[in-house]
Amino acid sequence: MMLSSVIRNLFSKPATRPFPVAVRTAPDGYRGAVEFEEDVCIYCGACATRCPANAICVDRVAKSLDFDPFKCVQCGACAEACKKGCVQLQIDYQHPVAAHSTVTFNGALKPPEAP
Amino acid sequence: MAQRTVIPFGPQHPVLPEPIQLKLTLKDEIVEEALPHIGYVHRGVEKAAERMDYTQNVFLVERICGICSFIHALCYCQGLERLMGLEVPRRAAYLRVIWSELHRLQSHHLWLGLYADAFGFESLFMEFWRSREMLMDIFEKTAGSRVIISACCIGGVRRDISDQHLQETLETLKMLEAAFDKSSEVMLNDYTVKKRTVGKGILPADKAILLGAAGPVLRASGVEQDARQTGFAAYDELRVEPVVETAGDCYARAKVRIRECRQSLDLVRRAIAGLPDTDIAVRPKGRPNGRTISRVEQPRGELLYFLAANGTQKLDRLRVRTPTFANVAPLVHMLPGCEVADVPVIVLSIDPCISCTER
Ligand code: SF4
Ligand code: SF4
Repeated sequence: MMLSSVIRNLFSKPATRPFPVAVRTAPDGYRGAVEFEEDVCIYCGACATRCPANAICVDRVAKSLDFDPFKCVQCGACAEACKKGCVQLQIDYQHPVAAHSTVTFNGALKPPEAP
Repeated sequence: MAQRTVIPFGPQHPVLPEPIQLKLTLKDEIVEEALPHIGYVHRGVEKAAERMDYTQNVFLVERICGICSFIHALCYCQGLERLMGLEVPRRAAYLRVIWSELHRLQSHHLWLGLYADAFGFESLFMEFWRSREMLMDIFEKTAGSRVIISACCIGGVRRDISDQHLQETLETLKMLEAAFDKSSEVMLNDYTVKKRTVGKGILPADKAILLGAAGPVLRASGVEQDARQTGFAAYDELRVEPVVETAGDCYARAKVRIRECRQSLDLVRRAIAGLPDTDIAVRPKGRPNGRTISRVEQPRGELLYFLAANGTQKLDRLRVRTPTFANVAPLVHMLPGCEVADVPVIVLSIDPCISCTER
């Protein structure tokens, strides 16, 4: 009974891809790495309240946001919560890095816009 | 004179996807007694659920089990919806059925593969797992992730499936069914497979009820019981007849799951055909208060959540009873009298999911 499968498999291509050579792109709507648009953020903290993994820390007074991609579980709750549309989940996955690092940005430190 | 030996089976064993230990007392080659030990993958999910916001918990409970993540979220959301008096839109209920049944298919494919591996049929294992990839691709396309699909939310579902994706899903299912026909044929009719499974690990119906077996283990012993009969989500309209076999052995348990795969294929098709055109979610208002029990049918059997809420953001208690926990006692009953070489097959036949069990 397995014979037909065996013969078919002998003459067909492997079901897997040779990874570094053939890279597969995820479909639209895939929940990949989280990215913030620093300029749009108003530091309301809605994303931090909704995040189940406590990956985001927002200080509303000091106007700073701290995001730990290593805690993030890519659920997308922050992107749903953000009224400003400043959090987006990329199609690409979170790439491995050599050292633990967080993303921090601080609105207060930005130079004031020229009048 | 026959010697008695105690052999630890697990927690690390080639056939076990997850750690459980069985202390087997052997008399020569025959198992006399089996003592289960769990506690290797306890993560404290129930306690963590008391600390987190009730909306955040949806993502937490999904992580109790990777193989049926959606159904855990569904069970939790369903309980909260009852407490908050939310009526889920019909389209959301149908989408929930579609994703649940795809999860059942995916889980049964995974199990059929692992089961084939347990009796050493490596190529059959590969066949099932290759088919399973098609299902994972459907999840990725429709929900945005392969394993933890995070598609369920309190009040409905988080995203809709477009008509194009529904069509693609139907086409993929056609290919899946063709592959499944071939592989399941081997699982059911192959001489060597039958040699390893027929008459092994028999669980009679009265014992199955007495020991509280759940899901395919219970149904393979001839007991007609399926939580989908309670009509949660859209199962009230898409009626489900429980798949029942009477032999109660490993072969019957595999057969139940294979027939359930066909049933799921049929259910997905019916759900897609009858998908109503309504909203996909209602906004939860207020805070949950009170106590409730939510029941759904997981691939492994009946899953039960007890929720105690107190009108605040946090729950007082979340209790999860998973089907594998219910099936450990029947497993201990099945093992005595079997040969030690059959232990892996019998253990796998209950589809053990230990991370689920220990939470
Ligand atoms: S919800 Fe959006 S605007 Fe508010 S703090 Fe988060 S990223 Fe910034
Ligand atoms: S994707 Fe989920 S886990 Fe990651 S930062 Fe957003 S809310 Fe937190």
